[in-house]
Amino acid sequence: MAYRDEAAFDLLVARYQERAYRLAWSILRNAEDARDLSQEAFIRLYQSASSFAGRAKFSTWFYRILVNLCLDHRRKGRGWRLWLRDEPDPDSGESLLDRQPAPFADPVDALGRERTLTKVWAAVDRLAPQQRAAVILQVQEELTTPEIAAVLKCSEATVRVHLHRALRTLKKTMETS
Amino acid sequence: MANHPETELGPYVRGELAPSERERVARHLEACPDCRQDAERVRALLTELGDSVPVAPAVNWGRYRAELRLKLDARRARRRAWWSRPLPLALSASLAGVLLFFAVWSGWRSPGVEPMTPEEAIIGRRLDLLRQYSVVERLDLLEEFDVIRSLDQLAGTQEG
Repeated sequence: MAYRDEAAFDLLVARYQERAYRLAWSILRNAEDARDLSQEAFIRLYQSASSFAGRAKFSTWFYRILVNLCLDHRRKGRGWRLWLRDEPDPDSGESLLDRQPAPFADPVDALGRERTLTKVWAAVDRLAPQQRAAVILQVQEELTTPEIAAVLKCSEATVRVHLHRALRTLKKTMETS
Repeated sequence: MANHPETELGPYVRGELAPSERERVARHLEACPDCRQDAERVRALLTELGDSVPVAPAVNWGRYRAELRLKLDARRARRRAWWSRPLPLALSASLAGVLLFFAVWSGWRSPGVEPMTPEEAIIGRRLDLLRQYSVVERLDLLEEFDVIRSLDQLAGTQEG
């Protein structure tokens, strides 16, 4: 990558495209923006490949570029237009409830659980951007606290505080549902 | 019990803490039922969230990569275009040359500032002219800058 080998870049895109798009979508909740910004992250990666010194894990470095782009996008206000709640997804037309798996046999229990999860994920969407990013990186991307700290460019203690506050909010949402 | 390890419960249930920290939190949980319950809630919540991550809408990956390739090519063309444009490059080089020439020339013409006589100093203090002195001294040079700034217009009029 450091010497901008086209084939290496193509391979890298093929390897990371799904993760990049999924992460961008989780932060933005808009498929078009997620596609645009994940592609932009690959372009930035291509342009700055020579500055990757190999000190951090490649995925951490790439996540940092992508998460920064997504948080900037949301900060500018364009990304906040869609809140999850029970609104249908603009791309598939399905509500979150429809998109969730239903693993329980009892339909009443399953419905109750899905409703609760819908509310919890809606609460994730309303978290402060850094808290939200930390939760998504932990729960969805399964990054460790030091890795999240590297992506968000803050200390591990700060990540712990972000996650603690986020989980406290989400627990309250879950308990009141 | 003081010092509840609130922010460490998440890393604790995920097994991320260093052995000494883990030991400390575990000891606290043994003695503190509230934190123990809290840790269980955190564990349950993280499991629930992990199992219910919303699924992103499907993407046509072939089209995605084709779009990315087009965007990348466009970006590279734009970058190349800026550097390869001969006119701005030539103009910048000429302007830099002219500026360098005037910088050297003005340095050569004013070898040093002559010491001020006491009379001049008194007049200067009274008239508040000394602050403007360096500007007045370079008025001719500033006029030259005006000419430089309008060089492209002059070239246009000469051609016309």
